Amino acid sequence: MSLDLSKIIGQIVDLAANIKQKETQRHSRIEFALRTLESAAADVNALQQRVESSKTTWLVAGPKENINLRQSAKDCYPDYLAVASDGSHIDVDRHQSAHCFLINIGMAQLQYGLSPDAELFSFPQLYFKDDDVVITSVDGRKFPIEGQLLGIKRSIEECRMLIERLEKLESPLPVITLLDGSLILWSLTEQVYPDFVVHELLVGGFLKHLDELRRLGRKRLLGLASYISFPRSTDVVNLLRLALCPHKEVDCDRYCSGKFSNRECEKVGGLLDRELFSQLLAPGERSALFSSRSSVIKKYYGANEINFFYIRLDREVARVEIPLWIAENETLIELIHSAILDQCRRGLDYPIALSEAHEQAVVNVADRQQFWNLVEQVLGEGGISVNISAKSESKRARWI
Amino acid sequence: MDIKEAKDQKSKVKGSIDNRIGEVIKAGSAELTAQCYKLDEAPPLGCLVKTQGKPGDIYGVVYDVETQSLEPGRRVVARGEKLESKEEVFATNPQLSRLLATDFKVLVVGQAEGKSWHYYLPPRSASIHSFVYACRPEEVRGFTQSLDFLSLLVNARILVPVDEVVGSCLRYASLTHTDPHEFLIKAGKELARLLSNDINRLNSLLKRLR
Repeated sequence: MSLDLSKIIGQIVDLAANIKQKETQRHSRIEFALRTLESAAADVNALQQRVESSKTTWLVAGPKENINLRQSAKDCYPDYLAVASDGSHIDVDRHQSAHCFLINIGMAQLQYGLSPDAELFSFPQLYFKDDDVVITSVDGRKFPIEGQLLGIKRSIEECRMLIERLEKLESPLPVITLLDGSLILWSLTEQVYPDFVVHELLVGGFLKHLDELRRLGRKRLLGLASYISFPRSTDVVNLLRLALCPHKEVDCDRYCSGKFSNRECEKVGGLLDRELFSQLLAPGERSALFSSRSSVIKKYYGANEINFFYIRLDREVARVEIPLWIAENETLIELIHSAILDQCRRGLDYPIALSEAHEQAVVNVADRQQFWNLVEQVLGEGGISVNISAKSESKRARWI
Repeated sequence: MDIKEAKDQKSKVKGSIDNRIGEVIKAGSAELTAQCYKLDEAPPLGCLVKTQGKPGDIYGVVYDVETQSLEPGRRVVARGEKLESKEEVFATNPQLSRLLATDFKVLVVGQAEGKSWHYYLPPRSASIHSFVYACRPEEVRGFTQSLDFLSLLVNARILVPVDEVVGSCLRYASLTHTDPHEFLIKAGKELARLLSNDINRLNSLLKRLR
C-alpha cells in the first residue's frame, strides 16, 4: 500500500496554521536582527576583535567588509563564457551483485555576446576496480567510498572536469566557472573519517584542484564560485549573537552552559542568514564579504580559505562561496557578482549554466533501475552468476 | 530517365554530402522519422528524400515536420517577451540550439534497385542513423516519371491530412519537369484512376494541383 494521503490531510492543515502563527513572531525577530546588524556595523572593528577572541558553540562568520554593506552590481561583460559543472551518482548497492558506483558529471559551456554558442555534455564514469572503490592508506588500511564519501568524491570530480574543460578553452573571453553547492567540505571533519581518507580527498583531491584553478586564473580573467540556492546557513546570524552577548568575552561554555532559551543571544536564534539579507538587500545587490571560520577551513584550506557573500535575486537570496584568491581581487568579485545576476536573469532566477549542467548530470530513478538491469544483463551474458539480495528481489516483484 | 542517368547528372552538379539533411532516428517499413542536423532546416512538405537501404536507396515523401524539445520531460517556454526578434532569443539563450531538434517524418514510396525504381515498400526498412538526403531535381524528375508511387501515398494512414501531402508532393515534383502543367495533368489522370470511387476526395485533391 502506498502512502494514504487522506489520512494525512488534516495534519497538513495543522502544519499550515502553525507556520502562519510563527510568521508574525519571525518577522519581529528579523526586524530586531536588522537593528542589531546596523548598530554592530557602527563599530565593525570591535566586532571583528570579538570574533577573534570568542569561544562559541556555533559557527560564526568573519566580517571582511562592513557587515551592513549593500553593493550593487557593475554591468556584466557583454561577451563572456559561463562554464558550469554538476554531478550525480549511483551509489554502491549492497543488495546488488556487482560492487561498483557510477558518477555522472554534466557540464554546460555557454558563450554570450557577438558569437553566442553552447556546448552541453555529460561524462558518466563507472568505478569498480579495487583502487577506485576504496581509499588505501600507506600502511594498507582500506576505507570504502560510498554514501556521504561518494558525494565528496563526486564534488572532486566536478572540479576536476571543470579544470579539464578550462585547459582546452581557446577563447580569450572572461570566464565565470560555477559549481553547485558548498566549497566547504565540512562533512569530512564532522564525521569520524581516518586521517588518510581526509588527506586523500581534501588535500590530494579537492584543494589540489582549487590550486589548479588558481593557476589557470593567472592566465586569464577567470572567476570561480559555488552557488547555493535557498541556503540554510546561519554564520552571519551567529555573528549577531556575538554582538548581542552581554558578557565581556564571549565564552558559551563558561557563561551559558546548560542555558538555551533564556540567553540574550537567543533573540536572533532560529533565524537564517537568507532571511536577514532578504530584508537588507535590494534585488541585484550583494552583501558584505565574510570568511568561513569552519574548523575544516582553518585546518586544511590555507590559501584556499573560503569566503562568501549573499546575493538578492528576484525570488530568493542565494549564497555565493569563493576562495580567498578570488575574494582578494575586486575585479573578479565584480565579474562573479554581475555574471551570476546575468545568469539568473537568463534562467528562472537560478544560473542557467548550472541548470543546464544539472540537466546533463541528472540520474533519475528510472535511469538507476536501467543501469542495474544493464549490469545484470552484461554479467549474465558473460556467464557470471548474478546474486541479488532477497530484499531487492522482493521489492521488484511486488507480489501479493 | 533511368537511375544511372540521374546519378550521373547529380554527380555533375554537386557532391552528395551537400544535400545531406538529417539522420534516421526511427525506422519502419512504411515510414521513417529523421532528425535534421540544423534547427528548422527540414525539407518542405511533399519533398522527395532518400536514405540508404538494401539492396538500394529507399525513397520517401516528407509528410510532417516538428520542432520540439529533445528531452520529453522539458517543456519549451516563451522567452522573448522583452526581446526584439526570434534571433535575439537564440543569441540570449545559446543553449536552446542544443536542446531543441527538428524532426521530419517520411512516407516510404519506393526503392532503387540497379538501374530502376520500384514503387512499392522495400523488403527491409532503413537502418537507424542512416543519412537522409534531399533528392536533387533531376532525381525527382527521374523518380516521378512513373506515377505508381501515388498509390502508396494516397492510401497512407497518417495524422496529417494526406491529401495535403499528395498535393504538395505533386506541385513540388512538377517544377522539376520540363512541362510542369503536362506533368500535373498526367498526375490528375492517375489520381482519377486511383480515386474513381471517391469523387469528392478526387475533386478536392485536383484543386490542390492548381
